[in-house]
Formats: sequence, structure tokens, C-alpha cells
Amino acid sequence: MQWWCFAQPGTAWTWEWRPLIGVWVSLALLVWAYRALLGRTDESGESAGLRKCRRISFGAAVFLLWASLDWPLGPLGATYLASVHMVQFLAVGVAAPPLLLLAIPPKAYEKLLPHERLMKVLDQITHPVVAFVIFNILMTLSHWPGVVDTLMPTQLGSFVIDAVWMAGGLIFWWPLIAPVPARPGFHPLAKIACLALNAFLIRPPFAMMIFSENPIFAIYELAPPPATDALDDQQLAGAVMKIGVAWIMFAGVLVIFRKWMVDESDRPSAP
Amino acid sequence: MTRLRWRGVSGLMAAALLVGTAAGCGLPADGSSLGELRGTVMEVPIEKPDLVLTDTNGDPFDLRAETDGYLTLVFFGYTYCPDVCPVHMATLGGAFRDLAPEVRDAMKVIFISTDPERDTPERLTEWLGSFDDSFIGLRAPIDEINEALAWMKLPGVAVVPAEHGSEPIIGHPSAVLAYGPDGLAHVRYQFGTRRADWTHDLPLLLGDRP
Repeated sequence: MQWWCFAQPGTAWTWEWRPLIGVWVSLALLVWAYRALLGRTDESGESAGLRKCRRISFGAAVFLLWASLDWPLGPLGATYLASVHMVQFLAVGVAAPPLLLLAIPPKAYEKLLPHERLMKVLDQITHPVVAFVIFNILMTLSHWPGVVDTLMPTQLGSFVIDAVWMAGGLIFWWPLIAPVPARPGFHPLAKIACLALNAFLIRPPFAMMIFSENPIFAIYELAPPPATDALDDQQLAGAVMKIGVAWIMFAGVLVIFRKWMVDESDRPSAP
Repeated sequence: MTRLRWRGVSGLMAAALLVGTAAGCGLPADGSSLGELRGTVMEVPIEKPDLVLTDTNGDPFDLRAETDGYLTLVFFGYTYCPDVCPVHMATLGGAFRDLAPEVRDAMKVIFISTDPERDTPERLTEWLGSFDDSFIGLRAPIDEINEALAWMKLPGVAVVPAEHGSEPIIGHPSAVLAYGPDGLAHVRYQFGTRRADWTHDLPLLLGDRP
């Protein structure tokens, strides 16, 4: 029985279905925690449409996590194709975190306020500049060839990479989405600039994947088919990373811009 | 953000970069390599076997005569192999595309089938061609293959019968032997040899050996 998908070099790919118990248990825990959170949160102040949107957002996040971590994308990305590994990164580390944060009602965030220590830590690590730096360091490290080749061949190591992606994504998106801690000085234009910068930033792993003359990840280079040319696959992975991150950041810009417009139109006009 | 915080962040970034760089720099694929080469240098060189095989055109191929004076990489495998063979051939094929023409012209890659019944000439040609058109596919009766493997001090062919409709698995050596222009194999390359290792070693094997 396999807990989490991990790299198994030299093992031929088969289309035989394999259960990944850890993925199911993790997602079941996530759903249980969300239901428990909603059960303890007063949502009466929100419209039915908004509540529905939050549930759709949560459902989309769970679907993304399940589709990218379970069979077949999980094993394909862990051992065989760097490009699939990068699709997993987009889902787990870039797209799912904002959807999860959007799914939480503001009242639930406010429950964090009485916890002083937690709020102090949150205030520091979710400062927009710090969050931006943490996200990019974690993303760079988790795609570094030596780190990938060392961690991916074990279930724990592979899980750690996925967990780091999720944690990095949550930290990056938190100041852009979560209302707590309040950051009145973080203007929507600054949020848009933050997303745009992240979209255009050239991270070292991307540059290595695109410009290296040789495959940089031993795992994917020494993987049996379906990959036929590890270098082509690696360059595709670089493109998926760059274009995928840019599109998700662009979607974030649209959401923030729309919210900004709505907030401005709701603001009472000066006499 | 205070200056102290910025120093902390920049220190963290520097440390992360250092750790990442250290992790990225590994030893050569084979830790037992000697000298400049990344393959395993053998203490006792192995002579090329006196073997006449059949090429994909159906013509006889005298291994010693046809490869005399060339750097010759010899690998035993089969086209239905699900793991080692396609990986070895893919890394070699990738390296070939990076090599200088004069290096490529001074080399021959020989793929000797350990599954001559299923590896038809057409299949061998098509399969090897997907990696590099210059790779040479050869066939011989399995007894002769095993004799050659014993001569080369490599394990013989072992057939694991098919189960539940699956294809049979053919056990075969996973190492590539590199015969120098002198007809002796000085270096072997185990499974795990990477494209960068080939592009590093092949020009060296044609030049001064350590």
C-alpha cells in the first residue's frame, strides 16, 4: 500500500490504477476541517450567493489537489515527467492556496484575533514583502535539482515538497486575500503590483530548466518512458511553470481589481 | 520593514542559495570513478569478443573487424525492455546530439539484442532510430550471446516467463562497455549514467585516457 506518490527510478510506468491512501486521508481531513469551521462560524451576515461562491472555491481547491496528487498525475509527476511535476506545482502551490483562503468566511478569520502569539507570527510572516520573499525562496529551493533528486525518491520527502508548496502558496496569498491581520496600507494597486512582479519574476529553476543543455533532474532523466526525451520534457516543464504562474497571477489581478472596483462603487460619495 | 529584518531576509536568501547550490553539485553518477572519467575504470581491461552477428539488413557483422579503430559502446538489451534499455539509449541518444561531428564519426554504438525472437530487424531499426539513426542493432542466437557475455565477464541472459498475459521479461546486463580504439574495454557505464556524463566522457575516451 502506498501512502504518497514518490519517485521510483528504473520502474516502468503502467496504466494500472494504484491507490494513494495518504492523498485521500489528507483530503478527507481537509473537508472535515472545513465543514467543522463552517459549523462554528456565523455566516448569517453573508448573502446566499457569496456562501455558494465560498463552497465552490473550496470544492475547486479540493478537486485541484485531488487531481494533481492522486493517480495518475501523482505517480507520473513523481517519477516520469518533469512537466507533470510542474502541473502539480501549479495546482498545489499556486492555484489551490488562494481558493482555500477565499473559501474561508471573514468571521472565521476574525476568530484568530484573540490568539496574540499566533497573530504576532501571522503578522510577521504574512507581511507582503516577507511573504513574497518566503514564497520565492521556497519555490526555488523545492525545484532545485539536488533537492528534488534527494527528496522525491521517498514518500516522506515527496510529501514534504508538496507541503512546502502548499505552505509557500498560503503564505504568499494570505496578505492578498485574508482580512486578518488587517493591512489598510496594502492598497489594491500594491497587491496587483505584487502579483505582476511574481508573474514576471525569473526564478533560477525556470532559467535552469529552459536554458540548461542537459537534463537537470536525475529522476526524470533516468525515468523509463512515457518520457522519450528528458530535455524536451524539462523545457516543457519550464514553460508550464512560467506560463502557468503568470496566468494564475493574472487571474488574481482580475479578482483583486474587480473587488477594488466593487468596494469603490459601494463607498458613499463625498457630499 | 526595519534594516535588521532586511538583513535577516537577505541572510536567509543567501543561505538558501548556498544550500541549493551545494545540493545541486553532486559527485559524478558513479562514485567509484577514477581520474577524470565518470564511468568505472576497470582494473583489468576486457577484450572484444570474437563474435559474428547479423545486422538489421541481414548481413553478417564481425564485431571485431567492423569496429576496429573506433570507440565502441556495446550494450546488450531488448526493445521490449520497459526500463533500463530505453533509458540508456535515450541518454546516449541525447548525448550524441551534443557531440562534435568528429567525435560521433569516431564512435559506434552497438545494441545487441537479448531477445532475438521478438526483436525483428524492422523493430530494431525503428526502435534504435527513435534514439539515433547511427546506432547499430545486431542479432545472434541466444547461445552465442551468452558466450559473448561470459567472455565479457557480464551476467548471462535470464528469461522471466510471461504472467497473466504480460510480456516476458528478459534479464540482461545493465552496463554499457566502452571499447577503445585499441579493442579493449577500459571503462564500463552502469545504469544511472546521465547525458552529461556521456558528453563529458566520450571525447575523453577518444583522447588521452587516464
